[in-house]
Amino acid sequence: MAIDTRITRKEKLQPWQGGFWLSELAFPIFIAALCAGVFAGTHMFYVYGTGLFNEIAIGALLQQGFDGNGYGAAAAFGAGFMLARIIEGPMVGILDIGGSIQTGVGIGIPAMLMSVGITAPLENFWLALAVGAVIGLGMGFLILSIRKATVASSGAQSTFGADVMMGAGNAAGRYLGPLIILAAGSASLPVGIGALIGAGLFYWWKKPLAGGAILGAMAAGAFFSIQIPA
Amino acid sequence: MSEWLVILSSSLIIGALCGFGAGAGVARMFHAPKVQGAGAFRTLGELNACENDPIAHGSFGLGFFFNSWATVVGSGALTGDVDHRIIPHWAAALSLWRNKNLDETLHNPRRMAWLGAIVGAVLVAFLNSTATAVPEGLRSVAGAVLGPASAWLLNPVMPAIFWLAAIDAGRRAGAWGTVLGGLAHMVFGNAVPGIVLGIVIAKGVDDLGWTRVTRSITVAVALLFVVSGFLRGVDVTLLTQLNLSIPDWLAELHRVTGTGPSK
Repeated sequence: MAIDTRITRKEKLQPWQGGFWLSELAFPIFIAALCAGVFAGTHMFYVYGTGLFNEIAIGALLQQGFDGNGYGAAAAFGAGFMLARIIEGPMVGILDIGGSIQTGVGIGIPAMLMSVGITAPLENFWLALAVGAVIGLGMGFLILSIRKATVASSGAQSTFGADVMMGAGNAAGRYLGPLIILAAGSASLPVGIGALIGAGLFYWWKKPLAGGAILGAMAAGAFFSIQIPA
Repeated sequence: MSEWLVILSSSLIIGALCGFGAGAGVARMFHAPKVQGAGAFRTLGELNACENDPIAHGSFGLGFFFNSWATVVGSGALTGDVDHRIIPHWAAALSLWRNKNLDETLHNPRRMAWLGAIVGAVLVAFLNSTATAVPEGLRSVAGAVLGPASAWLLNPVMPAIFWLAAIDAGRRAGAWGTVLGGLAHMVFGNAVPGIVLGIVIAKGVDDLGWTRVTRSITVAVALLFVVSGFLRGVDVTLLTQLNLSIPDWLAELHRVTGTGPSK
Protein backbone atom coordinates (compact mmCIF):
# COMPACT_ATOMS: atom_id res chain seq x y z
CA MET A 1 0.00 0.00 0.00
CA ALA A 2 2.70 2.41 1.02
CA ILE A 3 4.80 1.45 -1.99
CA ASP A 4 1.84 2.01 -4.32
CA THR A 5 1.29 5.60 -3.25
CA ARG A 6 4.96 6.40 -3.57
CA ILE A 7 5.12 5.17 -7.15
CA THR A 8 1.82 6.42 -8.51
CA ARG A 9 1.47 9.77 -6.80
CA LYS A 10 4.99 11.08 -6.26
CA GLU A 11 6.63 10.04 -9.52
CA LYS A 12 6.58 12.77 -12.11
CA LEU A 13 4.87 11.97 -15.40
CA GLN A 14 7.09 12.11 -18.47
CA PRO A 15 6.11 14.73 -21.11
CA TRP A 16 4.78 12.00 -23.45
CA GLN A 17 2.64 10.42 -20.73
CA GLY A 18 0.71 13.46 -19.60
CA GLY A 19 1.32 16.46 -17.38
CA PHE A 20 1.68 20.00 -18.64
CA TRP A 21 2.90 19.27 -22.19
CA LEU A 22 -0.15 17.15 -23.04
CA SER A 23 -2.61 19.11 -20.93
CA GLU A 24 -5.61 21.06 -22.21
CA LEU A 25 -4.19 24.25 -20.72
CA ALA A 26 -0.96 24.02 -22.70
CA PHE A 27 -2.81 23.98 -26.03
CA PRO A 28 -3.71 27.70 -26.14
CA ILE A 29 -0.10 28.53 -25.24
CA PHE A 30 1.27 26.57 -28.22
CA ILE A 31 -1.35 28.13 -30.48
CA ALA A 32 -0.46 31.59 -29.15
CA ALA A 33 3.23 31.01 -30.00
CA LEU A 34 2.33 29.89 -33.52
CA CYS A 35 -0.10 32.77 -34.08
CA ALA A 36 2.39 35.35 -32.80
CA GLY A 37 4.99 34.05 -35.25
CA VAL A 38 2.62 33.82 -38.21
CA PHE A 39 1.07 37.26 -37.60
CA ALA A 40 4.52 38.80 -37.28
CA GLY A 41 5.41 37.02 -40.53
CA THR A 42 2.61 38.94 -42.22
CA HIS A 43 4.08 42.13 -40.69
CA MET A 44 7.43 41.23 -42.33
CA PHE A 45 5.68 40.68 -45.66
CA TYR A 46 3.95 44.05 -45.35
CA VAL A 47 7.06 46.01 -44.42
CA TYR A 48 9.94 44.12 -46.12
CA GLY A 49 8.13 42.08 -48.79
CA THR A 50 9.27 38.70 -47.47
CA GLY A 51 8.33 36.21 -44.76
CA LEU A 52 4.64 35.50 -45.27
CA PHE A 53 3.75 32.03 -43.93
CA ASN A 54 1.57 31.08 -46.88
CA GLU A 55 1.40 30.09 -50.54
CA ILE A 56 2.01 32.55 -53.37
CA ALA A 57 -1.59 32.45 -54.56
CA ILE A 58 -2.98 33.35 -51.13
CA GLY A 59 -0.27 35.93 -50.57
CA ALA A 60 -1.37 37.49 -53.86
CA LEU A 61 -4.85 38.03 -52.39
CA LEU A 62 -3.37 40.06 -49.54
CA GLN A 63 -0.95 41.88 -51.84
CA GLN A 64 -3.99 42.95 -53.88
CA GLY A 65 -5.22 44.74 -50.77
CA PHE A 66 -1.80 46.30 -50.03
CA ASP A 67 -1.84 47.66 -53.58
CA GLY A 68 -5.13 49.44 -52.91
CA ASN A 69 -7.52 47.05 -54.63
CA GLY A 70 -9.60 46.12 -51.62
CA TYR A 71 -9.24 43.55 -48.86
CA GLY A 72 -12.62 41.84 -49.42
CA ALA A 73 -11.29 38.72 -51.12
CA ALA A 74 -8.47 38.13 -48.64
CA ALA A 75 -10.67 38.80 -45.60
CA ALA A 76 -13.49 36.52 -46.72
CA PHE A 77 -11.13 33.76 -47.87
CA GLY A 78 -9.08 33.85 -44.68
CA ALA A 79 -11.97 34.21 -42.27
CA GLY A 80 -13.99 31.50 -44.01
CA PHE A 81 -11.11 29.04 -43.85
CA MET A 82 -10.40 29.94 -40.24
CA LEU A 83 -13.99 29.41 -39.08
CA ALA A 84 -14.22 26.11 -40.96
CA ARG A 85 -10.98 24.87 -39.40
CA ILE A 86 -11.91 26.07 -35.91
CA ILE A 87 -15.13 24.07 -36.15
CA GLU A 88 -13.37 21.06 -37.65
CA GLY A 89 -10.26 21.07 -35.43
CA PRO A 90 -11.74 20.11 -32.07
CA MET A 91 -13.91 17.41 -33.67
CA VAL A 92 -11.10 15.53 -35.34
CA GLY A 93 -8.52 16.28 -32.63
CA ILE A 94 -6.12 17.96 -35.06
CA LEU A 95 -6.27 21.70 -35.68
CA ASP A 96 -5.17 22.39 -39.25
CA ILE A 97 -2.58 25.11 -38.78
CA GLY A 98 -2.61 25.88 -42.50
CA GLY A 99 -6.24 26.92 -42.65
CA SER A 100 -6.73 28.25 -39.15
CA ILE A 101 -3.45 30.01 -38.42
CA GLN A 102 -1.51 30.55 -41.65
CA THR A 103 -4.52 31.56 -43.71
CA GLY A 104 -6.90 32.73 -40.97
CA VAL A 105 -4.54 34.61 -38.64
CA GLY A 106 -1.89 35.32 -41.28
CA ILE A 107 -4.20 36.55 -44.08
CA GLY A 108 -7.82 36.89 -42.97
CA ILE A 109 -7.38 38.86 -39.75
CA PRO A 110 -4.74 41.26 -41.15
CA ALA A 111 -7.01 41.86 -44.16
CA MET A 112 -9.96 42.60 -41.86
CA LEU A 113 -7.86 44.97 -39.73
CA MET A 114 -6.48 46.76 -42.77
CA SER A 115 -9.92 47.09 -44.39
CA VAL A 116 -11.15 49.11 -41.41
CA GLY A 117 -7.96 51.18 -41.35
CA ILE A 118 -6.09 49.58 -38.43
CA THR A 119 -2.52 49.43 -39.72
CA ALA A 120 -0.43 49.63 -36.53
CA PRO A 121 -0.25 45.84 -35.84
CA LEU A 122 1.21 45.27 -39.30
CA GLU A 123 3.68 48.14 -39.05
CA ASN A 124 5.23 47.41 -35.67
CA PHE A 125 7.05 44.12 -35.04
CA TRP A 126 6.47 43.93 -31.27
CA LEU A 127 2.83 44.95 -31.56
CA ALA A 128 2.39 42.27 -34.26
CA LEU A 129 3.79 39.63 -31.89
CA ALA A 130 1.47 40.74 -29.08
CA VAL A 131 -1.64 40.92 -31.26
CA GLY A 132 -0.86 37.50 -32.74
CA ALA A 133 -0.39 35.97 -29.28
CA VAL A 134 -3.69 37.38 -28.00
CA ILE A 135 -5.53 36.07 -31.09
CA GLY A 136 -3.88 32.68 -30.56
CA LEU A 137 -4.86 32.47 -26.90
CA GLY A 138 -8.44 33.31 -27.84
CA MET A 139 -8.49 30.72 -30.60
CA GLY A 140 -6.99 28.05 -28.33
CA PHE A 141 -9.60 28.52 -25.63
CA LEU A 142 -12.40 28.69 -28.21
CA ILE A 143 -11.29 25.34 -29.65
CA LEU A 144 -11.11 23.76 -26.20
CA SER A 145 -14.62 24.95 -25.39
CA ILE A 146 -16.01 23.59 -28.70
CA ARG A 147 -14.20 20.35 -27.92
CA LYS A 148 -15.84 20.14 -24.51
CA ALA A 149 -19.27 20.72 -26.05
CA THR A 150 -18.92 18.23 -28.89
CA VAL A 151 -16.35 15.44 -28.83
CA ALA A 152 -16.05 15.09 -25.10
CA SER A 153 -19.82 14.78 -24.74
CA SER A 154 -20.20 12.31 -27.59
CA GLY A 155 -17.65 10.01 -25.97
CA ALA A 156 -15.37 10.20 -29.01
CA GLN A 157 -17.30 7.55 -30.92
CA SER A 158 -16.81 9.38 -34.18
CA THR A 159 -13.74 10.82 -35.86
CA PHE A 160 -15.99 12.92 -38.12
CA GLY A 161 -14.41 11.64 -41.31
CA ALA A 162 -10.81 12.44 -40.29
CA ASP A 163 -9.53 9.46 -42.28
CA VAL A 164 -11.28 10.64 -45.47
CA MET A 165 -9.76 14.11 -45.21
CA MET A 166 -6.32 12.72 -44.35
CA GLY A 167 -6.37 10.67 -47.55
CA ALA A 168 -7.47 13.63 -49.66
CA GLY A 169 -4.86 15.91 -48.05
CA ASN A 170 -2.10 13.41 -48.79
CA ALA A 171 -3.26 13.06 -52.38
CA ALA A 172 -3.36 16.83 -52.97
CA GLY A 173 0.35 17.38 -52.30
CA ARG A 174 1.30 14.94 -55.08
CA TYR A 175 -0.30 17.13 -57.75
CA LEU A 176 2.12 20.02 -57.23
CA GLY A 177 5.01 18.45 -59.16
CA PRO A 178 3.16 17.96 -62.48
CA LEU A 179 1.48 21.37 -62.09
CA ILE A 180 4.85 23.11 -61.70
CA ILE A 181 6.20 21.43 -64.84
CA LEU A 182 3.08 22.53 -66.75
CA ALA A 183 3.43 26.11 -65.49
CA ALA A 184 7.14 26.14 -66.38
CA GLY A 185 6.38 24.88 -69.88
CA SER A 186 3.82 27.64 -70.33
CA ALA A 187 6.25 30.31 -69.07
CA SER A 188 8.91 29.59 -71.69
CA LEU A 189 10.38 26.59 -73.47
CA PRO A 190 13.88 26.74 -71.91
CA VAL A 191 12.35 27.05 -68.44
CA GLY A 192 10.02 24.15 -69.21
CA ILE A 193 12.91 21.97 -70.36
CA GLY A 194 14.87 22.94 -67.23
CA ALA A 195 11.93 21.97 -65.03
CA LEU A 196 11.62 18.63 -66.85
CA ILE A 197 15.30 17.81 -66.35
CA GLY A 198 15.17 18.81 -62.67
CA ALA A 199 12.02 16.80 -62.04
CA GLY A 200 13.46 13.81 -63.88
CA LEU A 201 16.62 13.86 -61.78
CA PHE A 202 14.64 14.21 -58.53
CA TYR A 203 12.38 11.32 -59.58
CA TRP A 204 15.47 9.22 -60.28
CA TRP A 205 16.79 10.08 -56.78
CA LYS A 206 13.35 9.22 -55.33
CA LYS A 207 12.70 12.81 -54.18
CA PRO A 208 9.46 14.78 -54.61
CA LEU A 209 9.10 16.00 -58.21
CA ALA A 210 8.15 19.52 -57.14
CA GLY A 211 11.55 20.45 -55.67
CA GLY A 212 13.46 19.32 -58.74
CA ALA A 213 11.07 21.02 -61.12
CA ILE A 214 11.48 24.36 -59.33
CA LEU A 215 15.26 24.15 -59.14
CA GLY A 216 15.46 23.14 -62.82
CA ALA A 217 13.15 25.96 -63.87
CA MET A 218 15.17 28.52 -61.92
CA ALA A 219 18.49 27.24 -63.23
CA ALA A 220 17.20 27.54 -66.79
CA GLY A 221 15.60 30.90 -66.05
CA ALA A 222 18.92 32.27 -64.81
CA PHE A 223 20.37 31.86 -68.33
CA PHE A 224 17.26 32.42 -70.46
CA SER A 225 15.23 35.20 -68.86
CA ILE A 226 11.49 35.14 -69.49
CA GLN A 227 9.09 37.94 -70.29
CA ILE A 228 6.53 38.26 -67.54
CA PRO A 229 3.14 39.22 -68.94
CA ALA A 230 2.04 42.35 -67.13
CA MET B 1 22.49 46.73 -44.50
CA SER B 2 20.76 47.62 -41.25
CA GLU B 3 17.41 46.58 -42.76
CA TRP B 4 18.97 43.19 -43.48
CA LEU B 5 19.95 42.88 -39.80
CA VAL B 6 16.42 43.82 -38.70
CA ILE B 7 14.98 41.14 -40.99
CA LEU B 8 17.47 38.59 -39.66
CA SER B 9 16.79 39.25 -35.97
CA SER B 10 13.01 39.49 -36.38
CA SER B 11 13.04 36.25 -38.35
CA LEU B 12 14.95 34.45 -35.58
CA ILE B 13 12.20 35.36 -33.09
CA ILE B 14 9.36 34.55 -35.50
CA GLY B 15 10.88 31.22 -36.48
CA ALA B 16 11.49 30.19 -32.88
CA LEU B 17 7.89 30.97 -31.88
CA CYS B 18 6.42 29.14 -34.88
CA GLY B 19 8.73 26.17 -34.43
CA PHE B 20 7.91 25.91 -30.73
CA GLY B 21 4.17 25.84 -31.36
CA ALA B 22 4.36 23.62 -34.42
CA GLY B 23 6.70 21.11 -32.76
CA ALA B 24 4.50 20.72 -29.70
CA GLY B 25 1.34 20.59 -31.81
CA VAL B 26 2.75 17.91 -34.09
CA ALA B 27 3.85 15.72 -31.17
CA ARG B 28 0.38 16.14 -29.64
CA MET B 29 -1.20 14.95 -32.93
CA PHE B 30 0.08 11.45 -32.12
CA HIS B 31 -2.02 11.55 -28.95
CA ALA B 32 -5.20 12.70 -30.78
CA PRO B 33 -8.13 12.40 -30.43
CA LYS B 34 -7.52 12.06 -26.65
CA VAL B 35 -5.43 15.24 -26.70
CA GLN B 36 -6.03 18.26 -28.98
CA GLY B 37 -3.16 18.39 -31.46
CA ALA B 38 -2.23 20.90 -34.15
CA GLY B 39 -0.72 20.32 -37.57
CA ALA B 40 -2.56 18.72 -40.47
CA PHE B 41 -3.76 15.38 -41.67
CA ARG B 42 -1.22 15.42 -44.44
CA THR B 43 1.54 16.24 -41.95
CA LEU B 44 0.59 13.24 -39.84
CA GLY B 45 0.39 11.02 -42.92
CA GLU B 46 3.77 12.20 -44.20
CA LEU B 47 5.46 11.78 -40.83
CA ASN B 48 4.17 8.21 -40.71
CA ALA B 49 5.26 7.66 -44.32
CA CYS B 50 8.89 8.37 -43.34
CA GLU B 51 8.75 5.44 -40.92
CA ASN B 52 10.77 7.18 -38.21
CA ASP B 53 13.98 7.07 -40.20
CA PRO B 54 15.96 10.28 -39.52
CA ILE B 55 17.42 10.28 -43.05
CA ALA B 56 13.97 9.96 -44.64
CA HIS B 57 12.58 12.77 -42.45
CA GLY B 58 15.59 14.95 -43.23
CA SER B 59 15.45 14.52 -46.99
CA PHE B 60 11.68 14.87 -47.14
CA GLY B 61 12.07 18.22 -45.40
CA LEU B 62 14.97 19.12 -47.69
CA GLY B 63 12.83 18.70 -50.83
CA PHE B 64 10.31 21.18 -49.48
CA PHE B 65 13.07 23.42 -48.16
CA PHE B 66 14.25 24.01 -51.74
CA ASN B 67 10.65 24.56 -52.76
CA SER B 68 10.15 27.15 -50.01
CA TRP B 69 13.47 28.78 -50.74
CA ALA B 70 12.60 29.15 -54.41
CA THR B 71 9.15 30.46 -53.52
CA VAL B 72 10.29 33.00 -50.96
CA VAL B 73 12.95 34.22 -53.36
CA GLY B 74 10.33 34.60 -56.07
CA SER B 75 7.46 36.08 -54.15
CA GLY B 76 8.25 36.70 -50.48
CA ALA B 77 5.88 33.90 -49.46
CA LEU B 78 7.51 31.19 -47.30
CA THR B 79 4.80 28.65 -48.32
CA GLY B 80 2.74 26.74 -45.81
CA ASP B 81 5.34 23.98 -45.96
CA VAL B 82 7.61 25.74 -43.44
CA ASP B 83 5.22 25.06 -40.54
CA HIS B 84 3.57 21.99 -42.07
CA ARG B 85 6.46 20.00 -43.39
CA ILE B 86 9.98 21.36 -42.95
CA ILE B 87 9.89 22.18 -39.23
CA PRO B 88 8.05 18.96 -38.24
CA HIS B 89 10.28 16.72 -40.38
CA TRP B 90 13.59 18.32 -39.46
CA ALA B 91 12.65 18.41 -35.78
CA ALA B 92 11.67 14.74 -36.13
CA ALA B 93 14.98 13.94 -37.83
CA LEU B 94 17.00 15.64 -35.08
CA SER B 95 14.84 14.07 -32.42
CA LEU B 96 15.24 10.53 -33.78
CA TRP B 97 18.96 10.88 -34.54
CA ARG B 98 20.28 9.20 -31.39
CA ASN B 99 17.13 7.78 -29.85
CA LYS B 100 14.70 5.57 -31.78
CA ASN B 101 12.15 5.34 -28.95
CA LEU B 102 9.10 7.10 -30.40
CA ASP B 103 7.55 7.93 -27.02
CA GLU B 104 10.63 9.82 -25.93
CA THR B 105 11.20 11.55 -29.29
CA LEU B 106 8.60 12.18 -32.01
CA HIS B 107 5.63 11.73 -29.68
CA ASN B 108 7.21 13.85 -26.93
CA PRO B 109 5.80 17.40 -27.06
CA ARG B 110 8.55 18.90 -24.90
CA ARG B 111 11.42 17.60 -27.01
CA MET B 112 9.67 18.40 -30.30
CA ALA B 113 8.77 21.93 -29.13
CA TRP B 114 12.37 22.88 -28.26
CA LEU B 115 13.87 21.21 -31.35
CA GLY B 116 11.13 22.85 -33.45
CA ALA B 117 12.06 26.24 -32.01
CA ILE B 118 15.73 25.76 -32.95
CA VAL B 119 14.91 24.49 -36.46
CA GLY B 120 12.34 27.26 -36.95
CA ALA B 121 14.66 30.08 -35.86
CA VAL B 122 17.51 28.99 -38.14
CA LEU B 123 15.22 28.14 -41.05
CA VAL B 124 13.08 31.29 -41.12
CA ALA B 125 16.11 33.54 -40.57
CA PHE B 126 17.93 31.83 -43.43
CA LEU B 127 14.96 31.97 -45.81
CA ASN B 128 14.09 35.62 -45.16
CA SER B 129 17.64 36.97 -45.09
CA THR B 130 18.70 35.22 -48.29
CA ALA B 131 15.44 35.96 -50.14
CA THR B 132 16.15 39.67 -50.09
CA ALA B 133 19.68 39.05 -51.43
CA VAL B 134 18.68 37.12 -54.58
CA PRO B 135 18.66 38.98 -57.93
CA GLU B 136 15.35 40.23 -59.27
CA GLY B 137 15.54 38.21 -62.51
CA LEU B 138 15.66 34.90 -60.68
CA ARG B 139 12.79 35.93 -58.43
CA SER B 140 10.55 36.62 -61.41
CA VAL B 141 11.22 33.17 -62.88
CA ALA B 142 10.19 31.51 -59.63
CA GLY B 143 7.11 33.68 -59.42
CA ALA B 144 6.09 32.96 -63.02
CA VAL B 145 6.41 29.21 -62.51
CA LEU B 146 5.17 28.76 -58.95
CA GLY B 147 2.40 31.34 -59.10
CA PRO B 148 0.19 29.57 -61.65
CA ALA B 149 1.04 26.11 -60.28
CA SER B 150 -0.04 26.90 -56.74
CA ALA B 151 -3.09 28.80 -57.96
CA TRP B 152 -4.16 25.70 -59.92
CA LEU B 153 -3.53 23.48 -56.93
CA LEU B 154 -5.73 25.67 -54.76
CA ASN B 155 -8.44 25.79 -57.42
CA PRO B 156 -9.58 23.54 -59.06
CA VAL B 157 -7.24 20.62 -58.21
CA MET B 158 -7.74 20.44 -54.44
CA PRO B 159 -11.52 20.94 -54.58
CA ALA B 160 -11.72 18.09 -57.12
CA ILE B 161 -9.61 15.76 -54.97
CA PHE B 162 -11.60 16.46 -51.81
CA TRP B 163 -14.85 16.19 -53.76
CA LEU B 164 -13.97 12.74 -55.11
CA ALA B 165 -12.82 11.65 -51.65
CA ALA B 166 -16.20 12.73 -50.22
CA ILE B 167 -18.08 10.85 -52.96
CA ASP B 168 -16.00 7.72 -52.34
CA ALA B 169 -16.69 7.93 -48.61
CA GLY B 170 -20.35 6.99 -48.93
CA ARG B 171 -23.61 8.42 -50.26
CA ARG B 172 -24.23 10.72 -47.30
CA ALA B 173 -20.73 12.21 -47.35
CA GLY B 174 -20.97 12.57 -51.12
CA ALA B 175 -24.28 14.39 -50.93
CA TRP B 176 -23.28 16.79 -48.12
CA GLY B 177 -19.86 17.34 -49.67
CA THR B 178 -21.37 18.11 -53.07
CA VAL B 179 -23.97 20.57 -51.80
CA LEU B 180 -21.72 22.39 -49.32
CA GLY B 181 -18.74 22.26 -51.70
CA GLY B 182 -20.70 23.89 -54.50
CA LEU B 183 -22.09 26.53 -52.15
CA ALA B 184 -18.65 27.17 -50.64
CA HIS B 185 -17.19 27.81 -54.08
CA MET B 186 -19.78 30.52 -54.61
CA VAL B 187 -19.59 31.95 -51.08
CA PHE B 188 -15.88 31.63 -50.17
CA GLY B 189 -14.43 31.34 -53.64
CA ASN B 190 -13.05 27.88 -52.82
CA ALA B 191 -14.94 24.62 -52.43
CA VAL B 192 -12.54 22.86 -50.04
CA PRO B 193 -13.84 24.29 -46.73
CA GLY B 194 -17.40 23.37 -47.73
CA ILE B 195 -16.49 19.83 -48.74
CA VAL B 196 -14.54 19.32 -45.51
CA LEU B 197 -17.48 20.52 -43.41
CA GLY B 198 -19.81 18.33 -45.48
CA ILE B 199 -17.66 15.30 -44.68
CA VAL B 200 -17.57 16.27 -40.99
CA ILE B 201 -21.38 16.50 -40.81
CA ALA B 202 -22.06 13.37 -42.86
CA LYS B 203 -19.52 11.18 -41.06
CA GLY B 204 -20.73 12.49 -37.70
CA VAL B 205 -24.28 11.50 -38.62
CA ASP B 206 -23.08 8.12 -39.97
CA ASP B 207 -21.38 7.33 -36.66
CA LEU B 208 -23.62 9.04 -34.10
CA GLY B 209 -26.97 9.72 -35.79
CA TRP B 210 -28.78 13.04 -35.45
CA THR B 211 -27.74 13.81 -31.86
CA ARG B 212 -27.43 17.17 -30.14
CA VAL B 213 -23.78 17.26 -31.19
CA THR B 214 -24.34 16.68 -34.91
CA ARG B 215 -27.33 19.03 -34.94
CA SER B 216 -25.36 21.86 -33.36
CA ILE B 217 -22.48 21.31 -35.81
CA THR B 218 -24.94 21.54 -38.71
CA VAL B 219 -26.45 24.74 -37.33
CA ALA B 220 -22.97 26.23 -36.84
CA VAL B 221 -22.05 25.37 -40.43
CA ALA B 222 -25.29 26.85 -41.78
CA LEU B 223 -24.64 30.05 -39.79
CA LEU B 224 -21.10 30.18 -41.15
CA PHE B 225 -22.41 30.08 -44.71
CA VAL B 226 -25.12 32.68 -44.11
CA VAL B 227 -22.81 35.12 -42.31
CA SER B 228 -19.96 34.71 -44.81
CA GLY B 229 -22.41 35.07 -47.69
CA PHE B 230 -23.67 38.35 -46.27
CA LEU B 231 -20.13 39.64 -45.58
CA ARG B 232 -19.10 38.96 -49.17
CA GLY B 233 -22.31 40.45 -50.54
CA VAL B 234 -23.40 37.20 -52.19
CA ASP B 235 -27.04 38.17 -51.63
CA VAL B 236 -26.61 41.39 -53.59
CA THR B 237 -24.70 39.64 -56.39
CA LEU B 238 -27.39 36.98 -56.67
CA LEU B 239 -30.24 39.51 -56.84
CA THR B 240 -28.36 41.55 -59.44
CA GLN B 241 -27.66 38.53 -61.60
CA LEU B 242 -31.29 37.42 -61.37
CA ASN B 243 -32.20 40.86 -62.76
CA LEU B 244 -34.09 41.70 -59.57
CA SER B 245 -33.92 45.04 -57.82
CA ILE B 246 -32.14 45.24 -54.45
CA PRO B 247 -34.46 46.32 -51.62
CA ASP B 248 -33.45 49.63 -50.06
CA TRP B 249 -33.14 48.19 -46.55
CA LEU B 250 -30.71 45.53 -47.79
CA ALA B 251 -28.59 48.04 -49.69
CA GLU B 252 -28.63 50.27 -46.59
CA LEU B 253 -27.63 47.37 -44.32
CA HIS B 254 -24.64 46.58 -46.56
CA ARG B 255 -23.68 50.25 -46.72
CA VAL B 256 -23.81 50.68 -42.92
CA THR B 257 -21.81 47.50 -42.22
CA GLY B 258 -19.35 48.29 -45.00
CA THR B 259 -19.88 44.91 -46.65
CA GLY B 260 -20.68 44.07 -50.22
CA PRO B 261 -19.55 42.19 -53.29
CA SER B 262 -15.78 42.37 -53.82
CA LYS B 263 -14.64 43.34 -57.26
